[in-house]
Amino acid sequence: MRQLNLAYQVERFGLVIVWVAVILLFGAMRPDTFLTWSNFSTIFGSQAVLVIVTLGLVVPLTAGDFDLSIAQVLTFVSMVTAILSAKLGVPLWVIIPTVLVLGALVGAINGALTLYFRVHSLIVTLGVGTFLHGITLWISDSQTIGGVARALMQWSIIERFLGIPIAFYYAIGLAAAMWYVLSYTAFGQQLLFTGRGREVGRLSGIAVGRVRLLSFVASGVMGAIAGLIYTGTTGSANPSSGTMLLLPAFAAAFLGATCITPGRFNPWGSVVAVYFLVTGINGLSVLGFRTFVQDLCYGGALVVAVMVSQLVSGRKERNL
Amino acid sequence: MTDQPAPRLAIRGLTKAFGGVRALSRADLTVMPGEIHGLLGKNGSGKSTLIKILSGFHAPDEGSLDIDGQPIVLPIPLGKSEAHGLAFVHQNLGLLADASVLENLIAGDYDRLNPWAINWGAEAARARRLFADHHLALDPHAPVSVLSPVERAQLAIVRAADRVQVHRAHGFGGVLVLDEPTPFLPIEDVRVLFATMRRLTATGVSIIFVSHDIDEVMEITDRATVLRDGEVIGSFETASTDRAQIVAAIVGRSMTTERVIGPYAASATPAIQISALSGQIVRDVSFTLRSGEILGLTGLIGSGYDEVPYLLSGATPARQGQLNLPPATHDLTRMTPATAIAAGIALIPADRQRAGLALDLSLTENVTLPLLGRSHSALKLNHRRLSEITASLMARFAVKVDHPNQPASELSGGNQQKLVLGKWLQLGPRLVLLDEPTQGIDVGARREIYDRLVELCRSGTSVICATSEFEQLETIAHRVLVFDRGRIKAELAGDDVTKSAIAHACYQENRTNAPA
Repeated sequence: MRQLNLAYQVERFGLVIVWVAVILLFGAMRPDTFLTWSNFSTIFGSQAVLVIVTLGLVVPLTAGDFDLSIAQVLTFVSMVTAILSAKLGVPLWVIIPTVLVLGALVGAINGALTLYFRVHSLIVTLGVGTFLHGITLWISDSQTIGGVARALMQWSIIERFLGIPIAFYYAIGLAAAMWYVLSYTAFGQQLLFTGRGREVGRLSGIAVGRVRLLSFVASGVMGAIAGLIYTGTTGSANPSSGTMLLLPAFAAAFLGATCITPGRFNPWGSVVAVYFLVTGINGLSVLGFRTFVQDLCYGGALVVAVMVSQLVSGRKERNL
Repeated sequence: MTDQPAPRLAIRGLTKAFGGVRALSRADLTVMPGEIHGLLGKNGSGKSTLIKILSGFHAPDEGSLDIDGQPIVLPIPLGKSEAHGLAFVHQNLGLLADASVLENLIAGDYDRLNPWAINWGAEAARARRLFADHHLALDPHAPVSVLSPVERAQLAIVRAADRVQVHRAHGFGGVLVLDEPTPFLPIEDVRVLFATMRRLTATGVSIIFVSHDIDEVMEITDRATVLRDGEVIGSFETASTDRAQIVAAIVGRSMTTERVIGPYAASATPAIQISALSGQIVRDVSFTLRSGEILGLTGLIGSGYDEVPYLLSGATPARQGQLNLPPATHDLTRMTPATAIAAGIALIPADRQRAGLALDLSLTENVTLPLLGRSHSALKLNHRRLSEITASLMARFAVKVDHPNQPASELSGGNQQKLVLGKWLQLGPRLVLLDEPTQGIDVGARREIYDRLVELCRSGTSVICATSEFEQLETIAHRVLVFDRGRIKAELAGDDVTKSAIAHACYQENRTNAPA
C-alpha cells in the first residue's frame, strides 16, 4: 500500500476525522446530554441492525449488483419470527435456522431471476422486495406483533458488554468476517473482479454467474440476520419497519466507499459511515431538530457520497 | 464548346497530421454528379481520415473542399455536413433496432420537423412515398429488428439520401458517403444494395463507396481512387482498368521488414489440431499448429479471422468444432474460459480496456487473479507475497511502473499489454492466442512484445496471432492463414510470408488458390 502518501491517508481516514470533529462539535454544544456514555451506547446498540443491512448490501454492490429487497427481507423475517415465536410457540432453535434459510431462498430467487432472464438486479429486487412486503402485510394482517421469546431480546439488546448491547458486537464481528473474506480470500478477489472487470474475470476463469448468485444469497442471509436482531431489539415485529432502513443503508454503503479503502465498497468504511450518519442525526435531534433531519442527512449523504467519489475518480461515466 | 459540368465534390490538397505522423498528405479527389466513386486502401491508408474530415470530425491542416463549385469552409461544424449536401452511412448503419422504421427514418431530421408537434400520420405517408420511390417494401411501423440485414442497409442509405433531398430542390443531388456497408452481407444482398445505389445516382446523387472488396468496387463504381500511406496513388476509370493494376496500387512496392522469427525445426510435427470450427462468421475451418510455431491469422474486415482466438479459448462458444491439444480433445461448443485455462490455453484479447485488465483495480490484483486458488491458499491470501510476485513479473516483462499496487489505468497502453502478457505467460501455457496484440502500442513496446513471443515459441509454446497488420505477420509469423468470408482462402509459409504477399492474398479474386 502507499503508506507514505499523506494525501492518500487523509482520504482513507477523512470520514473518521470528520466523525470525530462532529462528536467534538456536538459535545461542546451539549456536553451533558450528547457527550454521555449512555447516549453513545444507545447509538451503538440501536444501529447494529442498520450496520448489518449495510454490510449485506456491500456484497452484491461489490459484485456489481443492487439488492433493493434486503430491507423487506428484514421485515419479512422479523414478522415470521414474531408469528412463529409469539403465536405458535415455536422454539428459537427452530426459528433461527428456518429464517436464515428463508433469507437465503429470497437471495437465490433474486439471483436466479437476474441471471437467467438477464434483467437488471435493480428491477428484480425492487419487485421481489415489494412482493415480500405484500406477504408481510398479509401474514401479519398489517398489525404489529409482540410477545417474542425473551431469549431473543436477551441476546440482542439486554445483554451488554462494556455497557453496549451485544447486538453491536454481532455487527462488528460480521464486519470483521466480511473484511477477511473480501481482502484475504480468492472469493473476495473473484467478487471484486465480477463487479469491476466482469469480462476480465470471466476470461480469467471466474464463474461470474455463480459468484453473483452467491452474493445475492449472502445478502439475503444478512437481511435475515438483521431481521432476527431487529425483532430482538424491539421485542416485536412491525410490518413497515424495514422500509425506513433501505435508503440509510444505501447512503452508508456509498459513503463508506469513500473511506478506509476509497473507491471500493468495504465493510469497515460502511461501519464508520453508519455511525457517522447516526451521530450527526442524534446530535441534531439533541439540539432540538425534529425527525426531518434524518431524511435530510441520509438523502444528502447518499448524493454527496457519489459526488465525492466521482470527483475523486475524475468524473468518468460509471455504471454502478 | 465542351461544357464540362462542375464536379459535385472537389477536394484539393487535403492534409492532416496526428502528432507528426501524416495520416493524409495533399490528397485530391474529384467526384462528378451522378457518379459512384470507389475509395480504396489498406488499413491506415488515410481513407477514414478523409471521411472524418468530410463529416467534420477532424479539422484538416491544409486543403480545400468545393461542392458544386462553391468553396466550403473547413472544418465543417459537426452535424452540419447535411446542410452542404453531404450524408454518411457507416458500417454500423446507425439504426436503433428497437425503434420503428419511421422513428429511425426521421430521427435527427430537425430541419424539417416541428419538434413540438410531430404529425405521425403525415410522416408515415411521406415514408411510404419515399420507400415507393426507392422500390423498397418497408412498413414504416415495423420495428427495425425484424428487417433483414440488407433492408437495414437500404433503409440507412435511403435515409441518408432523404437528408440531402433539400439540395435536389436546388438542382444539386448531394453526396452520399457509404463507408463499408457491405462486409457482412452475402453476395446476393450486395447486388440488391447496388440496385438501390444505381437508382439513386440516376436521380443525380453522387456516391462515394468505401470498401475493402475490390470485386465490389469493380462492379459498382464508375471511377475509383486508391490511397496508400496517406497519399492518393491515382484515380481510375473502373471499366477500363485491370484488377491487377488496382491491387498493385493498393499494396504498393513495400520495403521488406526484418523477420525476427527463424525457420522452425523441420522435425516439428503437428502438435495441435483444430477441426471443423464454426462460429458466427467462421465456417468449417480446420488447421494444425506445430509446437513452437507462430501462426498468423488475417483477412479483410468481416472475414472472420479475428473470431478464432475467442472460439478456441471458450470466450465465445463455437457452433461446432474440436480442438486436439494432446493428450486431450476438447469439444469447442462446450469450452469455457476455466477449462481452457486448465488445458494450458491463454487468450490475450484485443479489447485491453474491457477484457484484458480491470482498470480500476491494482496491478497486483490484475496479475495474480489467475493464480489465486492455484499455488496459494485461497483462504489465506498473502498480500506481500502477491506484490512480490507482481514486482518480479513486471521486472521480467520490463513493465515500467512505480508500484505493484497502483491502479492499472495509470499505465501506458504498451505497459498494460506487457502486463496482460505477463499475467498469462506466468501460467506456462502451451497455446497462446492473441488478437491484435499491438493495437495502440508504441514502437518500443511492440518490439518487446515481438521478442517475448519469439522467446515463447523457442520454448515450445504454440502461438496463434490474429491481426490486420500484415507487417506484424511478416515480422513474427512462421505461417499465415488468410481468411475470406469465414473460410481459409490462402496459406503462406516461410519466405512467402511478406507484407505484399499477404496483401495480394487478401485482395485476390475469390477463386480457389492452391496454397504455396
